[in-house]
Amino acid sequence: MQAMILFGVLVSTYLMVIAKRTPALIRSFRYQSFCLFLATLIIALQEHELDLYIIAGLLFVLKVVLIPYFLNRIIKRIKANENLGLLINPQLSLLWALGFTYLSWVFTRHFLAAAQLAGGSILAIAFFVVFAGIFLMIFRMTALAQIIGLLIMENGLFLVASAVSGGMPFFVEIAIFFDVFVSVLIMGFFVYRINKLFTHIDVNKLSRLKG
Amino acid sequence: MKILMIILQLILFIAAAPFLSGLIAKIKNNIRLRQGPSIFQPYYNLAKLFSKGEVVSQTASWIFWVAPFVLISSTLAAAVLIPVLILASPMHQMGDFLALVFIFSLGRFFLALAALDTGSSFGGMGSSREMFISSLVEPALCLVVFSISLQFNSTDISAFSGMHALSVSCIVSAIALFLITIAETSRVPVDNQETHLELTMVHEAMILEYSGRSLAIIEMAAYIKQMILFFLIAQIIFPIAALETVEPAQTIFWLLWYLARIIIIAISVALVEVSVAKMRLFRVADFLGFAFVLGIIAVVCAILGV
Amino acid sequence: MEKINFNLLFDPLSLFFLGVIFIVCLPSAIYSIGYLKGEYSRAKIALAWILLLIFVLSMGLVVVVSNVLVFLVFWEIMSLVSYFLVVFDDKNEKSIQAGLIYIVMTHIGTAFLIAAFMIMYKSANSFDFLSIKNACQLMDGQTKNIVFLLLLVGFGTKAGIVPLHIWLPAAHPQAPSHISSIMSGVMIKTAIYGIIRFVIFILGVHSAWWGILVLILAVISCLVGVVYALMEHDLKRLLAYHSVENIGIILLGVGLAMFFLSLNMPYLSIFSLIAGLYHLVNHAIFKGLLFLCAGSVYKATGTRDMEKLGGLIKKMPQTALFFLIGAMAISALPPLNGFVSEWLTLQAFFLGAIKVSGAAKLFLAVCAAMLALTSGLAAACFVKAFGITFLAQPRSSFALNAKEVGFSMRLGMFILSTLTVVFGLAAVFVVRLLAKVCGCATGIDLNGMSFSLNNFILNPQPGTSAYLSPLMLTLTLVVLGGAGFVLYRIFNRKATIYNTWDCGYYKLGGRNEYTATAFSKPFRIAFSFFLLPYRKTQKIRESFYHVKSFAYETHTTPIFKKYIYDPTLDWVFKSAKFMRKIQPGSIHLYISYIFVALLLLIVFMQRF
Repeated sequence: MQAMILFGVLVSTYLMVIAKRTPALIRSFRYQSFCLFLATLIIALQEHELDLYIIAGLLFVLKVVLIPYFLNRIIKRIKANENLGLLINPQLSLLWALGFTYLSWVFTRHFLAAAQLAGGSILAIAFFVVFAGIFLMIFRMTALAQIIGLLIMENGLFLVASAVSGGMPFFVEIAIFFDVFVSVLIMGFFVYRINKLFTHIDVNKLSRLKG
Repeated sequence: MKILMIILQLILFIAAAPFLSGLIAKIKNNIRLRQGPSIFQPYYNLAKLFSKGEVVSQTASWIFWVAPFVLISSTLAAAVLIPVLILASPMHQMGDFLALVFIFSLGRFFLALAALDTGSSFGGMGSSREMFISSLVEPALCLVVFSISLQFNSTDISAFSGMHALSVSCIVSAIALFLITIAETSRVPVDNQETHLELTMVHEAMILEYSGRSLAIIEMAAYIKQMILFFLIAQIIFPIAALETVEPAQTIFWLLWYLARIIIIAISVALVEVSVAKMRLFRVADFLGFAFVLGIIAVVCAILGV
Repeated sequence: MEKINFNLLFDPLSLFFLGVIFIVCLPSAIYSIGYLKGEYSRAKIALAWILLLIFVLSMGLVVVVSNVLVFLVFWEIMSLVSYFLVVFDDKNEKSIQAGLIYIVMTHIGTAFLIAAFMIMYKSANSFDFLSIKNACQLMDGQTKNIVFLLLLVGFGTKAGIVPLHIWLPAAHPQAPSHISSIMSGVMIKTAIYGIIRFVIFILGVHSAWWGILVLILAVISCLVGVVYALMEHDLKRLLAYHSVENIGIILLGVGLAMFFLSLNMPYLSIFSLIAGLYHLVNHAIFKGLLFLCAGSVYKATGTRDMEKLGGLIKKMPQTALFFLIGAMAISALPPLNGFVSEWLTLQAFFLGAIKVSGAAKLFLAVCAAMLALTSGLAAACFVKAFGITFLAQPRSSFALNAKEVGFSMRLGMFILSTLTVVFGLAAVFVVRLLAKVCGCATGIDLNGMSFSLNNFILNPQPGTSAYLSPLMLTLTLVVLGGAGFVLYRIFNRKATIYNTWDCGYYKLGGRNEYTATAFSKPFRIAFSFFLLPYRKTQKIRESFYHVKSFAYETHTTPIFKKYIYDPTLDWVFKSAKFMRKIQPGSIHLYISYIFVALLLLIVFMQRF
């Protein structure tokens, strides 16, 4: 079951890497978050801990429902071009993503001793998710892509934490959720303002502001 | 006893100081094959100035009035500070050799201010030049004080009075002090007391606006300062033991030698004055630089113990 | 991580500096009542008071805290508040410029301090003064040297030693005058506190070259400060340059103390430190006084340019008297306080020269000679400052319409000038007090040390009869001067008041007078190797024989700016331009920088 979920995370990440339009990206993000939610829920059911239930619940409410909804709303409100503006086309991006997958596998092997290698795949995937997030932030033009990239990285970090130490302390986890949520709100607001000022959200063109 | 000594010393300085200037002037004139005024001319001048009224500039403020008194009191304070008659300073608790340097600068400071006070350009010129020369004198003087004090292990001004061995360091510091004296008493290579030419005068330019009794006081202070400096040189280079017996013959010989030392220095000043030409103001820096170098040599000699 | 303690340390050293802060800040605050009124709006006056309060409080806390981190915090607050005070005239372009130089320089200094404190922390694992002091005894020599140099640069920047003085003459004159007084009088002294506290008290003097280095820097500061001051005709800038000079004199005492400490000569190190600290408190008093007087002149005339002043002694007799007292003190004229402390410093040099051997004797003698040169030049400079500003006739309408300043301003100046006299006459008491302070700073037992014969006579060379008694000197001067005056009155003749002799020229006016530039010309020429003066002349002729107008300008080359700071700035800008290439403004590129850095870090961690 866990392997299936992990595979789901991996696939959703590939989907995000090859996504061309923003709604597709958000949808894939929803899938990914949902997979995480499922994984947490399973562990919670196994261990019957209240903390884990709450975390799973928050994961669902925030990352599966609220944040994607909010992002979609922004897209609608600013009536921007739905295209992400790819600096690297989907095929090439996929190649990069595969490269990253291999790289994170190599990293994981370096980090973990041979005995722990069984749990290594989850760490490798977690690293890959972080890399993918950064990749999206670098090679997609619109500001929204940057927000989603950050969220993906956060998902990756969540995975890393649960892979290495079985999840962060409860209150830290809660704090991070709210942090992410608030930052998405703020960044969404910024995107809105940027669009209003410049009539586009193409981050690439912001270099004109430089003195 | 001490008070008496102080008063005696003050009287000695006031009475004898103008004589030295008269003597120097006489020697200079005689070397130039002139008759010249009498040796006592400075006394006549002072008497004349004292009996005359004053003209004071309407621009002047109280600084102008006060300066002569500050000048004379600081000079007299210096006069009671140095060892003269009993070869010990009557007021050695008031200050030492280093303090002497600062006491002189008090009077000079006020005189320079008074020169600026009347608004005359001559005054400004004199004030500027005087401060220029005196500021360059300070380091050389300080080195002289250092080399002397290093030899006698104390900055007490009485330490080197009395009989002491005549070391190389003493001689070199005496020469340096001699150069400083020439600069401080406005003698020829640095300044010229005899002219009132605006291009050359320094001290005379400063006191140009003074007249009558104020001028007399300033002149008097200049004479006393000159005598103090002569005394210091004499103590360094012609050491003399305190008089021990009251035998008349010896006392007379002692007194003669005592006075002769001062007069030898006065004569050498006169000789220097007639044999060199006045320097440009900016060459004075070189002149005093030479005194500074002599001071360093004196310190080095004192360190080496020669 | 240790808990940070906020304990305050009230040892004699701290108390002494608190005292210095108090005796300058109180009169300055009184003064500012009158000074601020009419100059600024009500809101700005309120702001000035608040800033003044924070400024004084932060300075007070800097000298009493006992924890390095807390020290740094208050040090920074002090710097920042004083920056805001420098740019208080925010309409003035020059203030902004000066403030910029100040804030940059002061932060460079703080950076060095932080580096030094980090090394100290590393060896002590604590920020507490006393634990660091204990740990420093085990520190090896090389580290100590590095820490010392870092501290010297850090505190030296704040103190304004040459060549780090560049901000001082720019910033101090731009602040409101009571603030200049506090900055010059007290703030730069906190740097001396830092040097004494951290180098002498905590670190412990390790080798003789520390003292020698400080002495050399001090001598250079003295001379450079006073020579630049001589060239200046802006009254407050002149005073600011004198702060550089006086910091040099203070550091002469401190450097000597360090030198003697390394040679293990307790009496001499205590004595030199006394001389240094005595000059410190004296400088705080008379420089505070002089800045307040300069502020009064500015308030009354609206200009600080000496060439436009003159004749103020008749319009503002009290301010003139106060300025004269300050000028006499700073020129080391007996019997005021500056004289006593310079005499003590010279004595310290002399005593040292007797005790040490070989070339060190000559070194000390030359340092002393340079100090003498400095005091000679300072006297010349203040003859100029006082003479041109207050004496003779007004040189412009600014000075013509001046009026004596208000009561609170005069009160502030009066308090400080009284202190100037008192600190000169009560020398023995001050020295005894300072001996305790120095004993605390150096950790030397004071038993069996005596610096005076009785309550009125200083005797720095026990066993010999070298004395100084400012009180006796004053009495002698007064008695002799009084006797002269009495004689003068006895032969009273009427004095005629008449024009100054004008060589037959029918009317002498302010334009005929000697100017500050002219006054300093001999010095400009004598020090031309250093000042590199140049002049510009321009003649406009109608015909060959008739020059219609003639313009003449003379300037000196600011060599530290031209040969040290400008090239450095150039280099910084050039490298910044180069660095700009990797900063094209693309967010994607920035994120990839972060990513690459992250990857490199991971690789780096794997390798090591």
